Amino acid sequence: MTILEVAKKLKAEVLVEGDAVADAIGYVVASDLMSDVLLVDEDEILLLTSLASDQVLRTGHIVGAVGVIVINGKSLPSSMVKVARDLGMTLVKCDKSQYQACIAVSEALKSA
Amino acid sequence: MNEKLNKEILSKASISKKVDHGTEPLVLVEMIQRLKVRDVMTTTLATVERAAPLSDVQALMKAKQISGVPVEEGGRFLGLVTINDIIRALEGGYIDETCQKHMSTKLVVLEDDMPLSFALRYFEKYHFGRFPVINREQKLVGIICQRDINRALLLELTNELNRLESESSHYKVPEGPFNLYVLREFPVSKFDFENAGKAANKVKQLLKEKKFPAKIIRRIAVAAYELEINLCVHSDGGSLSWQLSNGRAEIIAHDSGPGIADVEWALKDGNSTASEWIRSFGFGAGMGLVNVKRVSDEFEIESTVGLGTRVKAVIYINPDAKR
Amino acid sequence: MKLKDLVDQAGFEVVTLPDAEAEVQNAYSSDLLSDVMGHCPENSILITVQNHKNTVAVSTLVEAKAILIVHNRTIPDDMLALAQQEGVALLRTACDQFTISCKIGVLLDIDT
Repeated sequence: MTILEVAKKLKAEVLVEGDAVADAIGYVVASDLMSDVLLVDEDEILLLTSLASDQVLRTGHIVGAVGVIVINGKSLPSSMVKVARDLGMTLVKCDKSQYQACIAVSEALKSA
Repeated sequence: MNEKLNKEILSKASISKKVDHGTEPLVLVEMIQRLKVRDVMTTTLATVERAAPLSDVQALMKAKQISGVPVEEGGRFLGLVTINDIIRALEGGYIDETCQKHMSTKLVVLEDDMPLSFALRYFEKYHFGRFPVINREQKLVGIICQRDINRALLLELTNELNRLESESSHYKVPEGPFNLYVLREFPVSKFDFENAGKAANKVKQLLKEKKFPAKIIRRIAVAAYELEINLCVHSDGGSLSWQLSNGRAEIIAHDSGPGIADVEWALKDGNSTASEWIRSFGFGAGMGLVNVKRVSDEFEIESTVGLGTRVKAVIYINPDAKR
Repeated sequence: MKLKDLVDQAGFEVVTLPDAEAEVQNAYSSDLLSDVMGHCPENSILITVQNHKNTVAVSTLVEAKAILIVHNRTIPDDMLALAQQEGVALLRTACDQFTISCKIGVLLDIDT
């Protein structure tokens, strides 16, 4: 399952389609601490976070994430779209809480 | 990168002090015009006061491995004691006399916004080892020596070469990607969260273009990113430099303070001095250095409170790179 | 669901459990205490990596019944002391936020 398909199930808004938009998700990380995300040793990560900052995209890029879903209905600073484009990262915005998003993503992944 | 081409350009760098615009490669001319003295000079200055004995200067020179010490009081630059002054003092047996009595006061100084080409001409003209640098307010802001210039030009040239190389789509790596030689340095400012991470992102993009193994890229990128964030969060400002040569990636984070009081403590999981505000950016969980160590094949840290910290992380790109 | 049942079925490590009979109705997953403060529903179990006493203080404010620390992060003494004083349960799991949120979701069977 790809991040676009997940976004559709979550009724989330896709802001930037990046390089790995068609790649299958290999692992899901839900965290607001980028230091923790950097510790994850998995590939094709989908990052769920309620942190709305450029650093989320930079961290995602470093760990080779397929994309970032910013949850909790956070309003994104305009710089995020630009940084996502620069780094080729898919950026999605979702109104669900982290807990709800986790459940919805896992249901979407199970149905695939 | 083509090593031959690299060496060729580097050898040109060493003769660049002959500022002869007729035969100088265009890229160098442009570079020494573009770079300002302030971009190249050393700003961490060891200075002495007028009343200090020359023997203090001698000790300072030995400790810092420098050959000239400015005499300064209340922000006013008064003179310079050079290694020649010290030699004369030792020969003449007056090493315990004051700097005021023996410092050079007829000085040629450079201004910080002069182009580097100017500095090169001065070195050529006066044969001094170093020049004090003042700003518009006549305040001493730095000192510049040949070594500073060589270092800056070397960095600029490799950056320039890398840029040219990435522009050329037909470029082929002749001796295999593991022998690529890249040296880059990025400044990192305190609390500049807007830009923190950019250097690591660039490093990753370059390695990706070079088609390095994904696992290796990730380890290098994680180490670079953590160190960059560390500089941003904890240091008073510093630089992240990285170099790729002989199958090794070396990342060095260097800052000028405040230093880590207890390195062992800082290297333990979850220990952090970061504030709530920094944590709100998603950092400061006390995992940074631990994580750098985790992804590195070699890890070194040196820190002195008041002076700064230097962290070196090495990742082997090919398994034979172990030294 | 009773807290003690959730603990049993999910297999959390109990650090302190002042009120095993407490009723848990919801869950909230976040590492940003400001988000917890603003959005965490009452009678929740809070899923977080933030292992410090401020988490307890915030949980008390939003009337969360339990704090679940993920990644088996160590619980500092002052955090434990405050949790006991405030009557908030402290639990631990080796799982990450995503995995454990999904698991709790199934157990609480909350409609997303």
